[in-house]
Amino acid sequence: MKLSDTIRIRLTGRGGQGIMLAGAILADAAMRDGRQVTETQEYGPEARLGATRADVILSDRPIAFPEVEQADILLCLSRGGWLKYGTQVASGALRLVDVTAVAREPGDPEVRSFPWRARARELGDEVVTNMMALGTLQAVTQVVSVKSLREVLQERIKPALVAANLAAFDEGVNLGRDELSAPGVATAGRDAGIRGGEIHD
Amino acid sequence: MPRFGESVDRYLRRELLPTVWCPGCGNGSIVQALAMALARIGREPEDVVVVGGIGCSGRTPFYLATNALHTTHGRALAFATGLKLARPDLEVVVTSGDGDSLAIGGNHFIHAARRNLDVTLLLFNNAIYGMTGGQAAPTTPTGSRTSTSPGSGSTERSFDAVELAMAAGATFVARTTTFDVQEMPLYIERAIRHRGFSMVEIITQCPTYYGRLNRLGEAPAMLVWERDMTGEPSDDQHGWKTGVFRDDDLPAYGDLTGQNSVRTRA
Amino acid sequence: MALRMVMGNEAAVQGALAGGCDFYAGYPITPATEILEEMGRRLPPRGGVFLQMEDELAAMAAVVGAAWGGARAMTATSGPGFSLMQEHIGYAAITQTPCVVIDVQRGGPSTGLPTLPAQGDVMQARYGTHGDRPAIVLTASSVREAYTTTRKAFQLAERHRTPVVVLLDAVIAHMREPVELPPLPEPALNPWPGSSGTEPPFGAHPFTPFGGPSPIVVTGLSHGEDGWPRTGAGQATERMLKDAIAGIAEDPSLTQGVERYCMDDATVAVVAYGITARAAHAAVETLRAEGERAGLLKLDVLWPLPEAALLEAAEQVDGLLVVEMNLGQLVMPVRAVVGGRTHVAHLGRADGLLLSPDVIARRLQALTASVRS
Repeated sequence: MKLSDTIRIRLTGRGGQGIMLAGAILADAAMRDGRQVTETQEYGPEARLGATRADVILSDRPIAFPEVEQADILLCLSRGGWLKYGTQVASGALRLVDVTAVAREPGDPEVRSFPWRARARELGDEVVTNMMALGTLQAVTQVVSVKSLREVLQERIKPALVAANLAAFDEGVNLGRDELSAPGVATAGRDAGIRGGEIHD
Repeated sequence: MPRFGESVDRYLRRELLPTVWCPGCGNGSIVQALAMALARIGREPEDVVVVGGIGCSGRTPFYLATNALHTTHGRALAFATGLKLARPDLEVVVTSGDGDSLAIGGNHFIHAARRNLDVTLLLFNNAIYGMTGGQAAPTTPTGSRTSTSPGSGSTERSFDAVELAMAAGATFVARTTTFDVQEMPLYIERAIRHRGFSMVEIITQCPTYYGRLNRLGEAPAMLVWERDMTGEPSDDQHGWKTGVFRDDDLPAYGDLTGQNSVRTRA
Repeated sequence: MALRMVMGNEAAVQGALAGGCDFYAGYPITPATEILEEMGRRLPPRGGVFLQMEDELAAMAAVVGAAWGGARAMTATSGPGFSLMQEHIGYAAITQTPCVVIDVQRGGPSTGLPTLPAQGDVMQARYGTHGDRPAIVLTASSVREAYTTTRKAFQLAERHRTPVVVLLDAVIAHMREPVELPPLPEPALNPWPGSSGTEPPFGAHPFTPFGGPSPIVVTGLSHGEDGWPRTGAGQATERMLKDAIAGIAEDPSLTQGVERYCMDDATVAVVAYGITARAAHAAVETLRAEGERAGLLKLDVLWPLPEAALLEAAEQVDGLLVVEMNLGQLVMPVRAVVGGRTHVAHLGRADGLLLSPDVIARRLQALTASVRS
């Protein structure tokens, strides 16, 4: 059962890539935007390296069912996450992935790959990959505001690391805008109520 | 000044005598010794809680005129842990048997000792399960007969409660016997006054089961046996050394965590 | 007050503190561990006591010991630990000790599915101890309810002098939702009301912990109102148990622990609780949008079972569908209560996956079709 105003987002990656934090920041920011939110996380026995996931559901109405069976938006940072969750998506879902997680499949406009990990290393540390990916998610989908994301990021991240994470976030936004101007994206995520950065009820 | 006997009586429920225990059982001597120790310390009976487990020893709290918390088999120390931290101003004494504390309750025994929780454990060791009719205990000496080790006797090795308590971190550790009726209340008094986990193991006679199954005779003969067994152990004979084996001043559990409850008597 | 993303386990801790909790003893276990950790952070600065015990038997024993020391005490665990706690839940019941146990349900039996949700402890929460006892078992289906239910559990434990179980599940426990939680009251020593020392310490009298004007005898043996063991047949404990069971059966805050959704003109209804009630709510929404007269009875109190509400629904509808994440537990007493007044169907699973709104809606449609034919 899918409600048109409900968007189900799944973030996945390797343990240690900050998926849980990214999910928490995304959910918190959406709450500040005034939306209904639930956030659930998969807990496995692996504290590090296993494929982890955080699911965030956004809606303009109370969210009855907090589980994401099929994601409308998948954000994936690792190969393991792709193998585990890459196909558990709704028809027409938008999949934003790191280039190392999956080779861009020719002719599949719904899988958009980004060099987040490599750019993060260039910026100084791969640990900011998660915030860069959040930036791209924001730019491509507009499901949450830049203002709220930046606010929450600054509150949730240790002061000494805020600048590096904000820089990564902004870089992610730029990567997303570049992608938006590329052909194909205008139809991605159509069934999820997302079109060209707009949210449809 | 009240006479000594009167002050001891304040801590006893004489109206409940005779006890539930068999004629000749050593547990009555321990009740008497505990009452004497409490009388010398002088806390009000309502400020003392005697916590018992299950088994013959577990019935001890009923005979003291203090608060009584008669709990479940093996878990008396775990109940005492919550009680003591919720009300550090109450005096908490646990009475528990060898099966209660060293078999089913062995985990709570070592962890109460490890935490150096400020309670006193009186470990009644009769080397057998009395309440259920004479089964082998973790303290039953190798070769001793019980209802579950008939014939040539127990083939298992036994626990030494004193060694176990010291290894686990108890800061006051002593052993005495019901033969040593003058020493016993003094050890119990020292144990209660000690800040931290204190254990007094008391070898106590069970003529009904351990004595009968091992042909040790009635209670008087068993007391003589206790006396004879508490010298230096030799190669061919099980024995229990008596005395105070440790008396160390180390921070008790509440001191270490800084979280003794603020709750005091209203 | 501000809206904040809060995890279910954290909300339960906040609810406990709001309910006066000042003592926690526990043991780490997924998916309840956050309650242990959060209590470790929150209680000591408030003058409370936090203890990590050596196992769940010890944790529950320490809770009962602390209650007799005057504390508002609780623990939290999941299935395997809940099994270990049963002995001392029974001890708390026979000694009329107020305390609270949260069981965050996960897949079982045994180690089962440690990280995945279930509702398989519903009968254990009621019947897990040997012997008979009064049982109060509450549940929650949102982060907000994890707060309100746990807070209420402390009031009920005190009112009825008995252990109160709060059944959560792995999804509610780990889910974050935006909630506004009221600020915590300042920590205070709440003396128990009946400390005069003139009333008997057991039976229909207020709870009086140790440390009052006269010594108290507490035992897990059958005992009279004075606390002294009475272990002959026909003794006082049966009467005290019956009184306590009757007392909770008449408490309106328990018997009215039901929420009705779209029930006014319903011809079929779902009976659900906890996380499953959310999916059922969505299913009813969908069916209503399609013009079907479906309704939902959401149970917030599982035990005592809200019999009047179930009977009323049974008289009204053509069929009830009990939906739960187990292979058929609460459906049995529901059938017993309904007594053939309407058809009672069951939809359950115990594989760690949630029952989705779609699955519930389809099953409800099938029930509608079968009762019409």
